[in-house]
Amino acid sequence: MTFDELKEYISANYPDDMTLLDTGRCEPFYEVKAEKLVAVCKRLRDDEQLKFDYFCNLGGVDTGERMEAVYSLASYSMKLRLDLKVILPHENAEIDSVQEVWPAANWYERELWELYGVNVKNHNNLTRFLLPDDWDQGFPMRKDWDAPDFIRMPEL
Amino acid sequence: MAELRTEEFTVNMGPHHPSTHGVCRLILTLSGEKVIKIVPVIGYLHRALEKICENRTYAQCIPVMDRFEYVTAMSCEYLFSNAAEKLAEIEVPERAEYLRVIMLELNRIASHLIFYGVTAMDIGALTPFLYGLREREGIIDLFEMTCGQRLTYNYIRIGGVSKDIPPQFEPKCRETIKTIREKLNDYEGLLNENPIWLVRNKGIGVLPADLGIAYGVSGPVLRASGVKYDIRKDDPYSIYDRFDFEIPTRENGDCYDRYLLRLDEIKQSLNIVEQALDALPEGDIKAKVSPNFKPPAGEVYARVENSRGELGVYIQSDGGKKPLRVKMRGGSFNQLQVLPEIGTDCLVADLVAIFASLDIILPEVDR
Amino acid sequence: MTYPLPFGELHGVFGWLYELLESTGLPQPWLDVVRYAALGALVFGVISLLALFLVWWERKIAAHIQQRFGPMRHGWHGWYQTVADAVKLLTKEDILVDTRDKFVFFWAPVICFVAAFLAYVTIPFGEGLIVADLNIGILYIMAITTFTIISLLMAGWGSNNKYALLGGIRSAAQLISYEIPMVASILVVVLFVGSMSMVDIVEAQSGWITNWYVFRVPFGPIAFITYIIAATAEANRTPFDIPEAEQELVAGYNIEYSGMKFAMFFLAEFANGFTVSAIAVTLFFGGWHGPFLPSWVWFLLKTLGVVFLLMLFRWTYPRLRVDQLMEFAWKFLVPVTFANLILAAWMKYAGWYW
Repeated sequence: MTFDELKEYISANYPDDMTLLDTGRCEPFYEVKAEKLVAVCKRLRDDEQLKFDYFCNLGGVDTGERMEAVYSLASYSMKLRLDLKVILPHENAEIDSVQEVWPAANWYERELWELYGVNVKNHNNLTRFLLPDDWDQGFPMRKDWDAPDFIRMPEL
Repeated sequence: MAELRTEEFTVNMGPHHPSTHGVCRLILTLSGEKVIKIVPVIGYLHRALEKICENRTYAQCIPVMDRFEYVTAMSCEYLFSNAAEKLAEIEVPERAEYLRVIMLELNRIASHLIFYGVTAMDIGALTPFLYGLREREGIIDLFEMTCGQRLTYNYIRIGGVSKDIPPQFEPKCRETIKTIREKLNDYEGLLNENPIWLVRNKGIGVLPADLGIAYGVSGPVLRASGVKYDIRKDDPYSIYDRFDFEIPTRENGDCYDRYLLRLDEIKQSLNIVEQALDALPEGDIKAKVSPNFKPPAGEVYARVENSRGELGVYIQSDGGKKPLRVKMRGGSFNQLQVLPEIGTDCLVADLVAIFASLDIILPEVDR
Repeated sequence: MTYPLPFGELHGVFGWLYELLESTGLPQPWLDVVRYAALGALVFGVISLLALFLVWWERKIAAHIQQRFGPMRHGWHGWYQTVADAVKLLTKEDILVDTRDKFVFFWAPVICFVAAFLAYVTIPFGEGLIVADLNIGILYIMAITTFTIISLLMAGWGSNNKYALLGGIRSAAQLISYEIPMVASILVVVLFVGSMSMVDIVEAQSGWITNWYVFRVPFGPIAFITYIIAATAEANRTPFDIPEAEQELVAGYNIEYSGMKFAMFFLAEFANGFTVSAIAVTLFFGGWHGPFLPSWVWFLLKTLGVVFLLMLFRWTYPRLRVDQLMEFAWKFLVPVTFANLILAAWMKYAGWYW
């Protein structure tokens, strides 16, 4: 299946769920509404024609006005690639966990929560892991984050 | 006789431990020698590379990429350059593509040689470590000859490569390939049939294919479980579709298969390097790209097949000099995630073997 | 004039020293005290030097197996590198953990060290070069070297460190398990000699090379192979070095030790390696017997040969896992050694040997 066929297939089968974005440069980027995310992901994974069983990546983006969560998916058997984008408000963003679809998403979602402050609902273990356990200086990957005292000396 | 009371106890394996390959910390719950629970704790090597990239121009990001996964720094450089080229739709000269493939494959061999040494060392045989590093030295010399660096190369740039190879590169490279081919027999003779090696590796840390798929495992670890998935073949980048090479797979998905698979991959990579050297065309090595170039707004997720699985980068550009967001994805991240699944209910010694066979390196996990 | 102890080829030197001692006119009990003290110091010095040499030698062998040079800077091919290391360890700060069990922590290296050196009392270094020819020589060595287990367990417990404790428990399990096949292999030789005295065992192998027990087919080679396997385990060397498996337990029982205490463990380990090799030579390779050269030279050469074998093992093989190690001891080595012992006993009874 080429990318054009993939686009046609998706516009035929997922007309209400996914909207094609024009920002993608070498593979299709689709926008998915946050509330439909888990259902769409499940369908994409179980679809016999697509079989998106490979969770490649989840990256948060802070554009300054809004938050985005970009899911990169692939298929081991069908050799396809697809990216999903969920657009979220800048403050108090919430997103559903896709762990039940791909267990691999677990750590990526923890990272999204830790670095961007996007609350991941239904996550089984939302704890800090890249930053120190006692980190209390906000969400460092956000654009409006400035390091108050970037080098924190340990208290001796 | 009084009733025996046993107690589980917790051991911190790491962050400073000889066999956690960097600064990974595993909180182990042990019952005697048996591992009951593993909680990986990462972040000790978190250098905020993604944040750093957001404050650099595209060209300045490439040295940062070297630090992302320094064992195969070439792939990271290639990955970022490739993503930026896709964003800006830059054509890369033919010769540059060939040089890139040569470097990528040489770096893959170097990484697998380190794996060979380190996995043997973790199982207690110290000698193979030195053997692996000795052959890697030849490859590193080639890199040094080309770009002056031995670990963080900054060689592959957006639009091409930074320097052409010197004239003595090709004979030296062919000689290195020949040496590695010869020495591979020694390696296999030293470990492959060694009974201790077999009992320590066979049937240990079995990763079933469906578990690997669920956890997004890629690269040699997944191929050792029987899933034939290699981005070089299945989602070809650069000029990999021009070369004739096999994707080795194994069936059992245990430590021994992962080890054998990597040795097979070394042989395939040697073939690719030879083919690329034979077909190396003359011509430019770099497209004209301004150091301050601004790709149009857009986003891209590029990926390459690294020695540790899929290495991916997501770049979003808002049309400015600096990327809006760079998100890196390393194979080790997922492989460390799957470690608690396959590492429980074994002994501490097995855990070390499994950790080594997954070939996790921590800079890739922590970024 | 006869001496209380024969000194073999070094007769002249020792005789002169003894006469010197006698000429001081001390009463006999005092003479004995001084003589044994001097002998103890002599053995201690020789073994310490040997252990230092073995450390250097092991490093060189490891280096050459691994295509390196090893120590090269200090003297010819780095010959006094280990001396420098020893001096460094002696002068190093002794870092102590606050939570240690003070008594146990302190005495563990001492016991290890003393046990390793006490074993040399009954080892015949040459014809007549033996401190005390006990009639239970080999039994004495087995008994003394078992103290090592206690010391390792003490080190593991006293450090109050989980890795050290695991290492100590591993070593206790391992050494006790391998003691059995080791003794059963030794018994084969004792059975044929009919004596446990080390000198008697060596004398029984005098003459032609086929008198060595290693060449008494079939039980001799089997006993030697099982002995050398068990001895490798007994000396805590790869592939049986699980008590200090550095990739799993970081350093095992000696993880909290530094400075002089660590040096004691370290030297004791090499002294143990030399002991098991010396026993192997005494039991299976005819001890000091050999043509042309002085007996003690032959003994040293043979022992270093066995040590070399152990070093080759160490730098070639990966390490076994702890349960596989136990399985190997109990399911393979113990049955084989006992079968071999029964075979040897039967052959001795039937007279089918030469």
